[in-house]
Amino acid sequence: MDTILSTIQQLLSGLKFTLGIFILTLLFSIPLGLLIARGRMAKNRLVSTLVRVYISIMRGTPLMLQLLLVYFAPYYVFKINLRDLAVGSLDYRFVATIIGFTLNYAAYFAEIFRGGIQSMPQGQYEAAQVLGFSKSQTYFRIILPQVVKRVLPSVTNEVITLVKDTSLAQVLSVTEMFTAAKNLASSQVSVMPFIAAGVFYYVMNGVIEILMNRAEKKMNYYS
Amino acid sequence: MNVLEMKGIHKSFGDLKVLKGIDLSVAKGEVVAVIGPSGGGKSTLLRCATTLETIDKGSIEIGGMSLCSTVGEKAEYCGKKELAEIRGKFGLVFQNFNLFPHFSVRRNITEALIHVHGKSREEADQVCDDLLLKMGMPDKADAYPCNLSGGQQQRVSIARALATNPEIIFFDEPTSALDPELTAGVLRVIRELAEENMTMVIVTHEMSFARDVADTIVFMDGGVIVEEGPAAAVINNPSNERTKAFLAGY
Ligand SMILES: Nc1ncnc2c1ncn2[C@@H]1O[C@H](COP(=O)(O)OP(=O)(O)O)[C@@H](O)[C@H]1O
Ligand SMILES: [Mg+2]
Repeated sequence: MDTILSTIQQLLSGLKFTLGIFILTLLFSIPLGLLIARGRMAKNRLVSTLVRVYISIMRGTPLMLQLLLVYFAPYYVFKINLRDLAVGSLDYRFVATIIGFTLNYAAYFAEIFRGGIQSMPQGQYEAAQVLGFSKSQTYFRIILPQVVKRVLPSVTNEVITLVKDTSLAQVLSVTEMFTAAKNLASSQVSVMPFIAAGVFYYVMNGVIEILMNRAEKKMNYYS
Repeated sequence: MNVLEMKGIHKSFGDLKVLKGIDLSVAKGEVVAVIGPSGGGKSTLLRCATTLETIDKGSIEIGGMSLCSTVGEKAEYCGKKELAEIRGKFGLVFQNFNLFPHFSVRRNITEALIHVHGKSREEADQVCDDLLLKMGMPDKADAYPCNLSGGQQQRVSIARALATNPEIIFFDEPTSALDPELTAGVLRVIRELAEENMTMVIVTHEMSFARDVADTIVFMDGGVIVEEGPAAAVINNPSNERTKAFLAGY
């Protein structure tokens, strides 16, 4: 009984990091993704090419490798020592994790958003322009709300993948839930911690699926 | 004074010359119908007048303001502030409506009033209710475009164009995307606007409607105005061979 309780307790303390990575990554990578999408569609060839290269690198290399680079590059390349930098319990390992996840997921989101924005009929822009809406009014009032509806299913996919990807933070020794489960499994010589962690991930994604379905339904008032 | 004054309009897309020196004046209260074969440049002309395309050469004045003029070889456009003001002076009704699908009918009609023209929500709602009554759909304010027939959607888009009280309204084939049985309601609304002396430029293939409603008919083909005159005269008794050939098809 005691082992079960302490197992769950330790998994929950790992879950804190898992949720932290999950929420912060979404918080930063979605706005950044919108920005990158705009850069990708920029008229300026230099900008759009640079952004295209960025996206292709982010999608073409392992996230695990990117995490390691974000963590080690400041020291090995620039001789800046961030590793001793600690804000309370948040040391650079966690910060590097968030930066790495954000840079990676922003690239994926950017491509989804770009698809959504480019699927908008030209007539929507034209109607808005003729009515006198400014560029930013057109974007935020007319285009973006419709894009949200169009991209929601693909965004749901990414969000579910992110839940599972949080386990990659183990390469930077962030004791998120998967690392916690691994440690427990080896100390208890049991697969139970893995199964418990699996249940946590599964439930988390179940909740996400329900919430996103609800959001999709809510936007079904028009077609 | 003319509400619309277009002079010597030239417009090309790449090497394709679409407008080859068009002059078009529309007086206050005048209804001009633009007819002609497909590909003749009618839509492009309306798009140039409504700032959706920029012209290469010529001049455009709307409601007494200069949108662009040509001194040397290239048309020079007015500044941002004037452009915004000019956009408040006209309305455009598209062939395929281009309503905002995520907005209710009411928001489609009031959004620009409130957020571009600074009207209060109460004022805007009043304008919306009056317009919907006029469009014969007073009970549709809370409906969404996807739940309306094509004819109703087009009437909403006419209401949207009228909401800001423009000096002139442009229609680009307002009934071409509609099933035949739905055109009557839209044409009736436009007819009523004509009776109220609304200044309008209407691109249309509805010849009898054009003859009844328009003061002037302009026949466009190959990027030029081939014939222009009083509606009945042009329709019943065209003088140009190309006009005759075109009208014989109706
Ligand atoms: N954006 C564009 N790019 C290239 N060609 C265009 C564009 N818009 C219109 N055209 C061409 O210009 C010509 C006139 O088109 P349009 O003004 O739509 O004629 P109409 O409305 O009389 O049918 C056509 O040959 C059409 O293909
Ligand atoms: Mg056309």
